[in-house]
Amino acid sequence: MMPLLDLILAGTVLVTAVLAVLAPRRDAAASAFLIFGVLLALLWARLEAPDIALAEAALGGGVAGALLVDALHSRRPPQPQAASSWAARITGAAAGAALLAALLIGVRAVPQARAPLAEEAYARIPVSGVEHPVTAVLLNYRSYDTLLEIAVLAVAALGAAALAQGHRPVVRSRPAVRGLALVLLPVLLLLAAWLLVAGTSQPGGAFQAGALLGAALVIAHLAGIGLARPQGLAGLAWTLAGLLSFLALAAGTAVFGAGWLVLDPAWAPGAILAIEAILAVSIGAGLALIFLSNSASLQQNGPAGEPGRAAEAEPPAGAPS
Amino acid sequence: MTVSGLPELMTVLACAVLVIGLSAHLLVADLFRRIISLNVASGGVMMLLLVLAVRGPGDQDPDPVPQALVLTGIVIMAAVTGLALALARRVEDPADEDDRDEETP
Repeated sequence: MMPLLDLILAGTVLVTAVLAVLAPRRDAAASAFLIFGVLLALLWARLEAPDIALAEAALGGGVAGALLVDALHSRRPPQPQAASSWAARITGAAAGAALLAALLIGVRAVPQARAPLAEEAYARIPVSGVEHPVTAVLLNYRSYDTLLEIAVLAVAALGAAALAQGHRPVVRSRPAVRGLALVLLPVLLLLAAWLLVAGTSQPGGAFQAGALLGAALVIAHLAGIGLARPQGLAGLAWTLAGLLSFLALAAGTAVFGAGWLVLDPAWAPGAILAIEAILAVSIGAGLALIFLSNSASLQQNGPAGEPGRAAEAEPPAGAPS
Repeated sequence: MTVSGLPELMTVLACAVLVIGLSAHLLVADLFRRIISLNVASGGVMMLLLVLAVRGPGDQDPDPVPQALVLTGIVIMAAVTGLALALARRVEDPADEDDRDEETP
């Protein structure tokens, strides 16, 4: 017997997915996608994946949502695009149906028992250095994945920063915004720190904490708090710090330890928490850099549109934000 | 503990969302909507992995390996979305108009 709530949830996920891809207007598509992201977070909670639900709410809903909504402010409305021809649509739909059938057949052929890898993952928890299985997989058993992931994030952040047309200046914002930021920031920082430490024994960890830190950095920057300059040199250094320290750990274990990223149970807990803390700050700096690089091009024709110099000098009070 | 029937429903839903996102990604011309479609498709992939993580008898703990893969995927998708939006913005930027006219014969 399936609870009604699951059926409703599944139905709305499907409807919002269809709306997000079919809506002809960008803002409609973005709103449908945001609702899709929130529903996904609920669905992950139903699928016994609280870690993913947290990350989805913070990254899929929060960061991606902010990026998409920000992109709606494009200075030029999109050109009317030539609609794809009916032949292309029908071919696409037929190919999609065939792919769906093939996928369903393939997925149903997967054995229904739990994969043997899961048993091994649970069996080795005592020597992994953490108590939470997902964190153990991310930072001990399969830390190559996380190393490559942080490399992808660093490359994406550098790419976005390279494409940005100028820095988004730190502009002193209205007192209400500033006050709200001063209330929000300590809460966000506390929550990020808690998620980071909690990740060793329960859902949470570097990624969720990093997403919160990124949000905090963006809020601080938009509220005009001068210290928060993800596009400055320090921001860039922090973006790369995660990758570099992870590489240093890998090299260290390869030279002095048992092999690439093989953690000794004696010092694994400390090493994992330390690398997680660096990763969280690095992910936060990277995400904030990506967001601000995207919104920087909006400022191109503004008063502080001089590339490279805008972030160094705070514009005079009263500059339009 | 999953309710029986939920994994079956979610398997079909996951494949449907993946195919919808992928087809739209290939068919839609607008760059912004293409990025959204890719995100929808990635939602389907994540759903499929998470359904595979809870298969088996109902009282077992979920498989942490696919869950960790999805967690990695979410961060990568957010980063790639940001880079893709930055690229799309430059493609549509009036300041880069001249380059584009030269490219199209």
